Amino acid sequence: MTSIILLSIFGIINLFVGFMKSKRILLPLSLLFLAVVFGANLFSWNEAQSYFNHMLTIDNYAVAFTGIMVLATLLLLPFSQHYIEEANENLAEFYSLLLFSLVGAIMMVSYENMLMLFIGIEILSIAMYVLAGSDKRRLRSNEAALKYFLMGAFFTGVLLFGIVLIYGATGSFYLTDIAATAAVNDGTVNAMFTLGLLLLVIGISFKISAAPFHFWAPDVYEGTPTLFTSYMSTVVKIAGVAAFYKLMAAAFAASYAAWFPTLIAITVLTLVVGNIGAVVQTNFKRMLAYSSVSHAGYLLMALVAFNERSDASILFYSLSYALATIVAFAVLQYVSEQRNGDETYAAFNGLGKTNPLLAFAMTVAMCSLSGIPLTAGFFGKLFVFTAVVQDARLMWLVVVAVLMAAVGIYYYFKVVIAMYMQPAADAAKIRIGSFASFMLIFITVFTILLGIAPALVSDLL
Amino acid sequence: MNFILSSLIFTPLLAALVVLLLPVRRQKAIKAVTLLGTLVQMVLAILLYFRFDGSAFANGQQGYQFVEKLHWIGFSLGTLGRFQIDYFVGVDGISISMVLLTGIIGVIGVISSWTITKNVKGYFLLYLLLLTSVTGCFLALDFFLFYLFFEFMLLPMYFLIGLWGGPKREYAAIKFFIYTLVGSLFILIVMIGLYTSVIDPQATAVQLGLIGAGGTAAPNAILQVQQMLQQNMVSSADMVRTFSIPAMMEPANFIPGSLLHVLSGVELWYLPIRFIAFLLLFAGFAIKVPSVPVHTWLPDAHVEAPTPVSVLLAAILLKVGGYGLIRIVYPIFPDAGAYFSILVGGLGVLSIIYGALNALAMNDLKKLVAYSSVSHMGFVLLGLASLTTEGVNGAVYMMFSHGIISAMLFLVVGVIYDRAHDRAIQNFRGLAKVMPAYTTFVIIAFFASLGLPGFSGFISELLVLLGGFSAPEATGMLPRWLTVVAVFGLLLSAAYYLWALQRMFFGKYWIFPELRAKATITDLNFREYLMLAPLAVLALLFGILPNLLLDKISVAVTGMTQLTLQNGQEQLELVLSSLIR
Repeated sequence: MTSIILLSIFGIINLFVGFMKSKRILLPLSLLFLAVVFGANLFSWNEAQSYFNHMLTIDNYAVAFTGIMVLATLLLLPFSQHYIEEANENLAEFYSLLLFSLVGAIMMVSYENMLMLFIGIEILSIAMYVLAGSDKRRLRSNEAALKYFLMGAFFTGVLLFGIVLIYGATGSFYLTDIAATAAVNDGTVNAMFTLGLLLLVIGISFKISAAPFHFWAPDVYEGTPTLFTSYMSTVVKIAGVAAFYKLMAAAFAASYAAWFPTLIAITVLTLVVGNIGAVVQTNFKRMLAYSSVSHAGYLLMALVAFNERSDASILFYSLSYALATIVAFAVLQYVSEQRNGDETYAAFNGLGKTNPLLAFAMTVAMCSLSGIPLTAGFFGKLFVFTAVVQDARLMWLVVVAVLMAAVGIYYYFKVVIAMYMQPAADAAKIRIGSFASFMLIFITVFTILLGIAPALVSDLL
Repeated sequence: MNFILSSLIFTPLLAALVVLLLPVRRQKAIKAVTLLGTLVQMVLAILLYFRFDGSAFANGQQGYQFVEKLHWIGFSLGTLGRFQIDYFVGVDGISISMVLLTGIIGVIGVISSWTITKNVKGYFLLYLLLLTSVTGCFLALDFFLFYLFFEFMLLPMYFLIGLWGGPKREYAAIKFFIYTLVGSLFILIVMIGLYTSVIDPQATAVQLGLIGAGGTAAPNAILQVQQMLQQNMVSSADMVRTFSIPAMMEPANFIPGSLLHVLSGVELWYLPIRFIAFLLLFAGFAIKVPSVPVHTWLPDAHVEAPTPVSVLLAAILLKVGGYGLIRIVYPIFPDAGAYFSILVGGLGVLSIIYGALNALAMNDLKKLVAYSSVSHMGFVLLGLASLTTEGVNGAVYMMFSHGIISAMLFLVVGVIYDRAHDRAIQNFRGLAKVMPAYTTFVIIAFFASLGLPGFSGFISELLVLLGGFSAPEATGMLPRWLTVVAVFGLLLSAAYYLWALQRMFFGKYWIFPELRAKATITDLNFREYLMLAPLAVLALLFGILPNLLLDKISVAVTGMTQLTLQNGQEQLELVLSSLIR
């Protein structure tokens, strides 16, 4: 709860700081705010408490995911330095919107009432609609914002419809009440309940860009300024998956049979579409968009497994995925900026020579995303897969996922090939600030550390 | 506690760290550190070889020597038991030969790499990382640890081919990477499946309170746990799941009703799930071996890779495939091993013949050698499939001997390529006139490889063929005609080697006119003697005194073979009966 309050206050402070002439203070200030929130959040560990007539509960689940999301924001913000150099006039608003959207994200992992889920999603989404269009002089950015807004609004409607139908069937917005009603009715109360459940699944699937509701993702990712794409594919996705799991575990555990077939179909489709889609991309950013679709698939696998390992697997996977994705977008941002906005694989040619640090960080990130051992991503996949095979009948799902992971290596290594094996078209060094390099080293070391000692995070939940 | 195995694994890593800290310009120092690291590793390996007691048979949880076991990752899964990964290394008769081979080839590879000029630091860094992961592979007794090293091996190799290779290096590197990766993912699937099915009896005994924490293995307690497990008397929360390979080798450690238990009765595509698991694992390792039809990455990788990398690839990396089959696949799935022996043996013979025919058709000397590798590794599969004592001993011997000989072959190819920047067979004639010493080594390498008596290749082929011929009576595994076909492989290998020898080295000296400008055809220099002579001596030594190696390996290999055969036939009946029910 403290994190929600603090973030709201800090967001407003940021807005006021924006009136000052110097924009340079905004970044350190925001980082400080986030660090404070990260610390304050930890105080709630093992001190579960409910707020607002039990509409929000801050338990370990909420604290852990809040921690990861705040950490992700903290880690990706330093790469926004260039926004300051460009003296973007709306800078303060962007930082505030990020903080506000985090409030929504935190609500999505701590709700006990479906209204709170809805409000959380809206707070998060509306901020993102604005941020997607924040580069208002670029046509692509405008397109992204409009597309995201229209599609987002539509699927929020679907979600809301689902919530209302569930309310109609059970008479409550509270997860516990819904679970209780469902439990006494064999998990399927009536047709309205089932339909509502289905609509809920569809609504959230859109938010985490799971296939077949992923069509917005490549265009939106490509058009949105890279910094916010990074935020979108980490924090927004993690919040969505965490909310999804919480919803299913707390309200619809008894209705497992009703949503399981739908979800498994979505999962397989997401894995296949995400990975195959990424293969044919020539634009690195679009590839990352499809890759984020595929990672939604791996995260959903943990949800499909639906056992005691699910939450911890989702947590670990989210963290490993976030670390690698932040690096990927950060490097992309530096490269494309200094290569005339080129975002294709070709922009990375010869990066191993023009900036070895960026190239190395990117290589580790790509290894982590593809699940090579001694990186966090490997254990992320391993934990998800072991969670799934606890039910032996789901072995085939692991087989599919493993094959898709092999496909993944192909496109992740395309960039590694470009960096080390292609000559640079432009011999100019890629420059990067010292603080940003420090953060890159930090994230890289963290990724490898989690690949050697995953127990640091894996048994938190 | 003895740290010799850890020292073996991590000596190259330590050297790599030193190399990392050295400035790029100090190329001499980088090379010296690498050489020192590999020399230390070789000395340790030789020391291990002499201290290793070849008369002890490793079986189950005991019997591995120089064992080190540390908890690495472990946490509770609530009602699903415990998750446990150990740093568990040990050596037995099967791995000792591979460790020795790695030690020797590691040094030879550095000598051969001495002329590398492009990005020296990166090269030797990757070289050392590769050695660490291969050594780890050969020593790991925890499946997870094995997999980790196995998969990590890809990265240095990928960069070594992709950065220091020939003109089509990117294609070759990514092809190598994707092929092996798909294979290792098959292995991952089975590994996860095994992990859900197997418990560590000792740790479970601790969990149940039968022995105190940190207590040593008490055979009674372990037996008791295994009996309780099979009678469904161990609750799921008390089961400590494990990746330990020795634990997986004992059928009594499989959880009743679990996916891979012999009596699970689960079918997939009309085959018992254990058979599917075997096929996946086999596919994974067969890619590495490589066996026809998944061998196509190998010629590309070899042709593009620089000489020392080819040496490592052929001499050590391919062995990981055969080693995995012997260490993991057959002991854990003996039933399927017995059931599919005709498949494994058949693919082995197919590799022998098809590889040899391809080698016969090649104009590129290096491709010829690469296909001869495919052909010779087919003998490993054949020997293994026979499941006879002679056959499996021969398979292990073949891996060692092929390691020595193929290293020599690739070095020999490298020598001519260094001088002429070309290695097409038709571009050279009568090299014996200008390079007599070189020709001597070529003849040694070729004859050792084609199995001339007196060289190590002969011993291994003989053992494998003996095993193959006795298999129908002794184990009932392979039809006799299969081995008869394999014998033709020997004939073919004699043909392609002698023909190549005749075309390139005999007759009047002539080289292709366009090459003359760049080529400086001189005989071997000191460095080249240094890398070729030891290998020639070793090929002879192990051909004349096969007991040097057989004394160390045969007890373990024989034990493993008999256990596999016996368990295999028992379990095969159980698996098939559980399906009929």
